[in-house]
Parts: sequence; C-alpha cells; structure tokens
Amino acid sequence: MPDSAVDPVSAAVSGLLPDGAPAPAARALRLGVAGPVGVGKSSLIATVCRALGAELRIGVITNDIYTDEDARFLRSAGVLDPERIRAVETGACPHTAIRDDVTANLLAAEDLERDFDPLDLVIIESGGDNLTATFSPALVDAQIFVLDVAGGGDVARKGGPGIGRADLLVVNKTDLAPHVGVDVAQMVADASAARENRAVVALSRTDDTSVAELRAWVLGMLNSFRSGTHVAQDPGPMAPHFHADEDGGYVHSHDEGQAHDHAHTH
Amino acid sequence: MLLADARLPSGGHAHSASLEPALLGGMAADAVPAWLVGRATTVSLVEAGTAVVTARLLGGSRDGAGGPPDGVRLADVVRAWAARTPAPALRDAARLLGRGYLRLARNLWPDAPAMRVLAAHDAPHGQLPRAVVLGAIAAATGLPAADTVRLTVYDDAQTAASALLKLEPLDPLAPARWVLEACAAAEPHVPRVASCTTPEDIPASGSPQTEGWAQAHALLSQRLFRA
Repeated sequence: MPDSAVDPVSAAVSGLLPDGAPAPAARALRLGVAGPVGVGKSSLIATVCRALGAELRIGVITNDIYTDEDARFLRSAGVLDPERIRAVETGACPHTAIRDDVTANLLAAEDLERDFDPLDLVIIESGGDNLTATFSPALVDAQIFVLDVAGGGDVARKGGPGIGRADLLVVNKTDLAPHVGVDVAQMVADASAARENRAVVALSRTDDTSVAELRAWVLGMLNSFRSGTHVAQDPGPMAPHFHADEDGGYVHSHDEGQAHDHAHTH
Repeated sequence: MLLADARLPSGGHAHSASLEPALLGGMAADAVPAWLVGRATTVSLVEAGTAVVTARLLGGSRDGAGGPPDGVRLADVVRAWAARTPAPALRDAARLLGRGYLRLARNLWPDAPAMRVLAAHDAPHGQLPRAVVLGAIAAATGLPAADTVRLTVYDDAQTAASALLKLEPLDPLAPARWVLEACAAAEPHVPRVASCTTPEDIPASGSPQTEGWAQAHALLSQRLFRA
C-alpha cells in the first residue's frame, strides 16, 4: 500500500492519523507540480482540471512565493470550483515548503480532502524554484516536473533531480518552439536520455493530442496509486553526475539507497 | 532548544510571529529591536503563561508547584488564551502552528499521556493553539516551568528574527543579538509567569497594535508569511 505521503510514524503509532486524516487507501492521489518560475505550472494545472474536471473530483493547493496570484489565476480560469483552490504561504521558501518542512502543505491537503470528501486528486503546485526543487514523498504520491521550450533547448540535457527522476517530465509551450529556435524533438530526446526513458510529454495547451497524452498519464497514475502498484519516488537532492579526475572521471550515483560519505568534492 | 528552532519541521517557517504584519503596517525597520523586546514582555508572556498552565494541568510539572484546582479543564485554558488573543487572524495562525506542533509531538512522544489528552481534546473541540501544544510538550518532557517560559519567548523572538532576514536587508548577525536582548528583557518576568497555575493567572498583556496589524495583514493578497 502506498503510504509514503502519510506521516508513517504516527500512522504506525495508533492507526490514527493526525487531524483525522483518512487512511492512505481512502484518500486522494496527491500530485505535485514543480519546475522553474514561468514554465507554465499553473497553466498546466488548469489544463488538467479542464481535461479531467468532469470525471474526477479535484482540489488544488498553490504555493506562491509572494502573492496568491496563482490561486487567483486558477480560480478565474473557471476550471474548478474556486473553493477547491487554496493558497499556502511559504515564508519566502518554496523549496522548504515542498521538501524540508511540508507541514503547511500537508495540513492544507488534509483540509481540502476533509472539506470536499471524497476527492480523487489533489494537485499541489510548487512556488516556482530552481532545477533542484522537488517534492518530498512525505507530501506527494507522484510529481510532474515542468520545463518550457522558451527556457532553452539545452535545459533538459542538463538534468537534475526533477528532470531526471520526477514521475513525469513535461516540456511545455511547444507551440513557441519555432519562435525561440528550439527543436522540440531533440529536446524531448535529450530529456528521455537524461531520464533513462521515464515518461516525457511535449505539451501545448493548444495541441489537443498532447493534452490527451497528459490526461492519460494522470489517469494511469491515479489507477496505479489506487491499485497500490505505484510507490512514491523521491527524485532526490542530486542526480547521478560525472566527476572529472586524473583518471578520466567516474559517474557518481546517489540513488542506490546506500550510505556513502562525501569524501570527494563535488 | 531544538523545539524552538525555526528548522524544526512543524510549519513555523511560513510564519513571522507578527513581524511582517507590523512592517507592512508601517512600523519602521529600525524599530524591530524595540518591538522584539516589547513582544517578549507582553504577547509572548500570554503564550508562555498558557503553556505553563497547560503543562501543570497535564501533570508534567516537576517543580512542586502543584496543578491547577480540580475541575479546571483544557478547554478553560484555551478559552483564557483566546480571550487574551482577540484578533481572529492571530488565533487562526496559532491554531495552524499548534496543528504542526501536535503532528510532530505525537510522532516524537506517542505514548506520553499529555499527547493522548491533546489528541482526545482535539477531535471534538477543534484545533489547539501553539501555546497549549507547547505546554503539553513541556509536560511530556518534564520541562521545568521557568524553562517553558523561556522556550516560548525564545521561539517567538527567533521566528520573527528568521523572518526579518527575508523582509529587510541586513547583516544576519544583527537579529541574533536582538533575540538575546529580547530574551534578557523577559527574564525578570520569568518567575511570575512560571508560577501561573490557573487559567486566570495567565498574563493578559496583549498588544492592540499587533492585533490590528494582524487583521489588516490577513486581508492582503501579497505577503510572504501566514501571520
């Protein structure tokens, strides 16, 4: 049973979850959406709500850095009952709120799930941060990392935990590619290579085929979450990376789950 | 002291202990040191007294001062705290912090009787404020009443100091000194607050300006911190 988005210690203590949260199997899939500022995270969430709002009961939590602008954007998009969209303050630390101290977001998710019980899907939007900001599995069951073509065709190749190991990488705003001189196919190929063939969707909200692909991925993830076959992954603080040294260097992987010291310099 | 550390993962990083409301309400940045001393000797003592009485009620006090009279219940302590915290925005923020603390405390001390009392109270009566949960933690850990007061004051001052660096440009070392000065200013009040045994004993040293700023802040659409 996927229980990693629930506080495992208190769940084990008494079978009671804090704040009366439902048991893991009964609650909504918590889906994180992360990525740098301006790549279209809010717009992607609006697209998901538009594509799935008729068949899924959805709630959204936004983590703006300085305003509740994202929450207001989504409310005004008319894709969801405004009451189901909540903004959480992050104390100027969007990274902290999704990774180091997820309390505010967890409480907001529990409140949404309680107030609109039952929900199928709670989408948590990170306040835009840098390429290393990924969600803790203590907060979300699955996560989407978003890039856009306007950010540069080489970003996907650079890798990083979100690009490399989020459950889905979205290359957004493909409709802009001709205007910014980016080869979408090459960017997706770079991303697929960086991700060792984990899922990539090249998305434009004006391209129905790509929206259908995103929709199918979300439904597939929801199904595997419900059936218990999906296990929340931590993309981790660092992707595998190359160390140059006199002998030509070596690839250093942080994802083997083994303790290792950091005697070498990064 | 870890309990009063802003790095404790209980949601405190999204709070400014009323500092952002004060600065957005027009308080000058160079008034922050005096403002910290003001809090440490007023609002923070309301919180500290609430924590001390809660700890006595839940039976964790080891300093021989005895518990409150029979018949006093947790709800009485919460009522006394709420009466001394008139701004709804501050009460809401305190309850949110209390939830975060309780989540953490129940993980750390799952078998402590004080935590079980809080959990049993939480369900029918709604969420408990930060000061009450801090009191329960003091009971669970056997923290002496005077240290509970100091911890509560320090937590409040340090939360504001951490937030300050995100709100005003300054040398990060400066607020560290101001926190020490605020804690020192509270020290003469420690024995009096530590001796609180009944809800009526909790200091009623509120700050109407802070309450007003908090209410105005709650209506803003541009802010970094919850309160």
